[in-house]
Amino acid sequence: MTMNLRHLPHYLMVLPFVALFAAFFLYPIVSGFYYSFHDWNAVTEPHFVGLANYERIVGSRDFSRAMWNLVTYVVITVPLGIAVAFGLALLVDSFSGFWSNLFRSVFFLPVVLPAFLAATIWRWMYAPNFGLVNMVLGWFGYPSVNFLNDTDTMLFSLIAVDIWVSAGFNMVILLAGLKNIPVDLYEAARLDGASRLQQVRHVTIPMLAPVLFFVMTYGLISALQVFDVPWLLTGSSFTNYGGRQNALLFPVMDMMGRAFGSVRFGQASAYGFILTALIIVVTAGMFGLRAMRSKP
Amino acid sequence: MTLAIEATGSRRSRWSSITAWDLCRWAMAICVTIVVVFPIWWMVNVVFTEPGTPVSINPRLYPTSFAAGWDKVAMIMRETGYLHAYYMSMAYALLTIAGVLLLGSMAAFEFALFEFPGKRPLFGLIMLSLMVPTAVTIIPTYLLTAELGWINTMQGLVAPGLASAFGLFLLVEFMKGLPKEMIEAARLDGARHFQIYWHVVLPLTRNAMVTLAILTFMKTWGNFIWPLIVLSNAEKYTVSQVVGLFNAPFSHQTVDVVMTANLLAAIPPLLFFLIFQRKIVEGIAMSGSKG
Repeated sequence: MTMNLRHLPHYLMVLPFVALFAAFFLYPIVSGFYYSFHDWNAVTEPHFVGLANYERIVGSRDFSRAMWNLVTYVVITVPLGIAVAFGLALLVDSFSGFWSNLFRSVFFLPVVLPAFLAATIWRWMYAPNFGLVNMVLGWFGYPSVNFLNDTDTMLFSLIAVDIWVSAGFNMVILLAGLKNIPVDLYEAARLDGASRLQQVRHVTIPMLAPVLFFVMTYGLISALQVFDVPWLLTGSSFTNYGGRQNALLFPVMDMMGRAFGSVRFGQASAYGFILTALIIVVTAGMFGLRAMRSKP
Repeated sequence: MTLAIEATGSRRSRWSSITAWDLCRWAMAICVTIVVVFPIWWMVNVVFTEPGTPVSINPRLYPTSFAAGWDKVAMIMRETGYLHAYYMSMAYALLTIAGVLLLGSMAAFEFALFEFPGKRPLFGLIMLSLMVPTAVTIIPTYLLTAELGWINTMQGLVAPGLASAFGLFLLVEFMKGLPKEMIEAARLDGARHFQIYWHVVLPLTRNAMVTLAILTFMKTWGNFIWPLIVLSNAEKYTVSQVVGLFNAPFSHQTVDVVMTANLLAAIPPLLFFLIFQRKIVEGIAMSGSKG
């Protein structure tokens, strides 16, 4: 008992944080798991339906469409985004002093802008006829493209905005990693006659591997939950979302539509767990790949 | 990346001819700067142009009429709920910052500097939550907020975001580096537990607190999904929702008015960035290298 009293101040200090953490993180996970096995519209009593919610989601056309879009999107946007960020980091690193700082800040600018703003600005830049992108295309004699309403271009329009938004963020993290690589390694490589490209290939990339791994895993986890940008690019609402022919329908959008459009909270909760399972599998896969590669 | 490869590849000569490489990297840096800055610049130009001027005459490459822009700002402030949305977003951001800093620093103080039974599993559990995607908690958190009767209220907007595991992680990492002797010395001087936190540790943690405050501001000001579902009453809308309204497909607003709404929403984070850019960039670099 005296033991407990001695520790009491410690518990009192962590209590506010832990209480809110339990209420708004632990409880929702448990209750969400419960709802995912129930049919519930938030008005009538929830009634148990077993795995029906999960079956209904996986069997739905929207789900397969959203998953297909997601896979295509993630496979392109994550590697491309990191490649661009890596290129920017090398570029900024090749300058020094004032110019290095200036370019770093400028390239970081889009990250500061809320994603919802980036999406709304780009929606108008993509507009047919008077939008800036089409205006520039027009100068070169190309006809106007309806980027956000043509199923051939919609996904790529999203990816372009996505990279514009996130490249600066990854660049800053990679840049911090670049600064930690000892200069001697480059000098040794140079003495061995390595060209600049070979130095990047044999010194920078291996030394940066842990940071690249972090950036890639983090990028994957957020890309799998993409919401704000496609939602706003398509001018979505809870009753009408995903854009033309659902070309920009993604799982979180589908989940939000089921919750607040069709008022099926059981199904929406189940959707969250399906998505989480997918994220865990992908993350575990990433860690597995890393463990395999680090072995000789 | 393609640019980088071309540049390093096209630089066939060795270190002797520095000029070719210099030319290349400057050209690339300027190109990227244009791509990055132009959309934001274009937004400003659309606002500060007489409405209705055809693009063929005025392609909006630079601002042409300050008065026109000012008129639009005044019109939006007068005829829409923008000012109230500003108040909502500011209150949301400031209350979240206050809560995250206070709760986070209190808990971090214990987790970083003391030993007590149950500390490790508890901290481990909180850190584990960093791996759990928001997608799985957002719907049940909404349902809980609704059960509490907090829909369309400030507490409903703020409370679920206060126990920030990321904030705790950042502060614990920082506090671990504080000299333990100072705490011992304060204790020998007769300082009580809470006094040590308030008078000794908090002042020493100022740098990390400022970084966390700035990152929290950016996150709450830019949060789109949570206000979207918690505030359904148009009178309670935050800036993100009002911007969404202006951009809705049937809002019947012209592009210059929409861009004015966007520009007004962009000003606080851009100002913040101008003032605190070093802290922001370092904070993100740090969270990346430690994560």
